[in-house]
Amino acid sequence: MQSYKGSYKQLSASLLLVAAAMLSMPSAHAGLYNDGKVLATGGVSMIDGAGGGGITPWATITGYETRDGINGDVHYTYASLPNYSLNSLGFAIGFYDRVELSYSNDVLPTGSTFDTVGLLASTLAATGASDDTGIEPFNTTIKMDVYGVKVRVLGEAIYDSDNLIPQISVGAFYKKNHNSALLRTLKANKTKDYELYASFTKIFFPLDLLVNVTARYTAANQTGLTGFGGPSKTKREIRPEVSLAYLLAKNTAIGAEWAKHGRNTDGEGVDVGGTVDTASVASLAGALGGVPLAGTLLGTTNSTLTQRESDWYDVFFAYLPNKNISLVFAYAMLGNITLTPNQSGYYFSVQASF
Amino acid sequence: MTIHIPRIFTVAALVLAAAFTQPVAAEQDPAGKVQTTYPGISPDAYEKFGGKYGMEQWVKALFKYIMLDNRINYIFAQHGKIERQIALNQQLEAMMLGAPVQYQGASMSAAHGEMGITLTQFNAVVEDAYLACDDTRTPYHVCNQLIAALAPFKRAIVTK
Repeated sequence: MQSYKGSYKQLSASLLLVAAAMLSMPSAHAGLYNDGKVLATGGVSMIDGAGGGGITPWATITGYETRDGINGDVHYTYASLPNYSLNSLGFAIGFYDRVELSYSNDVLPTGSTFDTVGLLASTLAATGASDDTGIEPFNTTIKMDVYGVKVRVLGEAIYDSDNLIPQISVGAFYKKNHNSALLRTLKANKTKDYELYASFTKIFFPLDLLVNVTARYTAANQTGLTGFGGPSKTKREIRPEVSLAYLLAKNTAIGAEWAKHGRNTDGEGVDVGGTVDTASVASLAGALGGVPLAGTLLGTTNSTLTQRESDWYDVFFAYLPNKNISLVFAYAMLGNITLTPNQSGYYFSVQASF
Repeated sequence: MTIHIPRIFTVAALVLAAAFTQPVAAEQDPAGKVQTTYPGISPDAYEKFGGKYGMEQWVKALFKYIMLDNRINYIFAQHGKIERQIALNQQLEAMMLGAPVQYQGASMSAAHGEMGITLTQFNAVVEDAYLACDDTRTPYHVCNQLIAALAPFKRAIVTK
């Protein structure tokens, strides 16, 4: 746990540094600071930290800078799901509306089902049948650092209304998940990996509509929160993502997003250590006859103790009262996450721009 | 992970190379017809702007905000009488929305080419245009028809 505290300290320090740098820019480097984008055209911060929608990076470069300068933002996103909460805290800097650098610290505290598995694991550990699963009987928390870079390649999302060429950016994320024991339990192939993506964004003013399509080359399970790849499916694949934003007013948009997810660990059990796997766990019920609680659990939950992953969806309402504040209220529908189905819940994100 | 890093650098290098070799888009000048946009702007946009009288009020509101906007007002003040700029803008905007009006000013590139207008300054005018729509109670959707019609002029106006 100590190392997590360390990374939080690092994050806080970096945030302060970035904030200080941004604030000092107008005076110290009059030529660098810029906030000349039209309101709302910088997008908001997605959970991987990049500029975009909520779950998808867009071809827009984060911040309110135009090609004349530098701008940046910090964000915090919270989604409340039945068995988890998703937290993303980070910052991003846009350089000349051309290059974007981002960092996000994603934290996923887990709830009831993980507690049950954790209880099972610790019970097994007490009988000597289990190793460290990374799942505690309570408060198991998944932590991941996400570093991002994006480069705008060509096109003009906003002003080229006389052609259909979108703004095109390419980007990469490097994701480092800190819960290696847990990811082994969940049968992920890797704890850290990179993703590449290409995003295509266009605003259709006559329709008050922004359209983004992204192709992401990734092996992530649940964006990497539960690792990368599975026991047999380990390769990266191209997954599409789509965002639609209907512009209700110059400072308000509603819309929906879809992100294709992989099925790397579908049908897999949870490896609670040694030779014990939740998928074949029913056979253990007899062996654990002396442990009534675990025995009952194992006998009744066998069918639910296999992992599933679903595509992610969200519907959102974004309100950007000015160039310094962006607020997003959304409903996220994330489907199956590891053992738990129907993970839908409210999502709130705030972004402060400098 | 170490074996992957060089590949990332290769991709990044390719991307950077592509980023600085963008094709130069053709300049846009009014040619006496409605701007072709994708999709097209609503045919009733001029009417929704309030026709001739409404557009006159809108352009006046636009210049009110431009001349209050310390980011850009000095540029407009340095380049000819505001009254003449207002009159020319009424013609241009009406024409771009399909009204039978002929714009009599210089082409966008001729009028702005030497001024070194930045995208930041151009965007400031766009923000003032939305404020003018608020003032004249022009709905956002109607306002966006004009924004779509004028947007491609960015390529001729922004030269710095």
